[in-house]
Amino acid sequence: MIVVLEVFTLALLTLFALTSVVAAYLAIRERDLVRAVVFSAIQSSMYALIYYVLMAPDIVLVYIPVSVGLIPAVLLFVIKKTERYEGE
Amino acid sequence: MTNIAVLTAYVIVLSLYVNLGIALYGIFARPSLVKKLIAITILSDTANAFAVLVGYRWPRNALPKPPVIPELPVTRRVLEEYTSSAVDPLPQALVLTAIVIGLAITLFIAFIIIQYYRLYGTVDVRKVRRI
Repeated sequence: MIVVLEVFTLALLTLFALTSVVAAYLAIRERDLVRAVVFSAIQSSMYALIYYVLMAPDIVLVYIPVSVGLIPAVLLFVIKKTERYEGE
Repeated sequence: MTNIAVLTAYVIVLSLYVNLGIALYGIFARPSLVKKLIAITILSDTANAFAVLVGYRWPRNALPKPPVIPELPVTRRVLEEYTSSAVDPLPQALVLTAIVIGLAITLFIAFIIIQYYRLYGTVDVRKVRRI
């Protein structure tokens, strides 16, 4: 029973970690900065799930409002004030 | 079974290292300052994930628990159960502080970027070099 739960935990961690790698790559390669911010938020939510599986629920309660809500809002504000596309 | 578990743990740590490399590439090689800021947030989140991963452990013959004692009369039995099955709370406390400090640094850099745009009219570092 415990071995099955250990394998399940490792499988969930691997899934979230590989998804965060894909999201981070897309966030860095994307030229439209608004879409890059959305990919960065996806990567942050994957990290929040990793924290939850690693038995840190208090970090999840702080991390989701800060890193999925507040930082993308600030970045969208900055993009609205400056340029939207990278490398014109 | 054990070999598969070890291999999966290597995959998790390796994917965090790949995230670190992607973030460093974004900081050093991408021209836009906003993209550099996104890469900085990815870098700090990956460092925090490494810290939490170091503090994780799997106790013998039990399930891991979050480092919280839910029962109020703390007897010796409750403390023994806590110390034998909870994960390490010290990296979690450090990461909790680091997330809030990272938010403050991100806000500071964001307003520096807005002032930069008002001065130079662009956020592309290649164009600013030419000015």
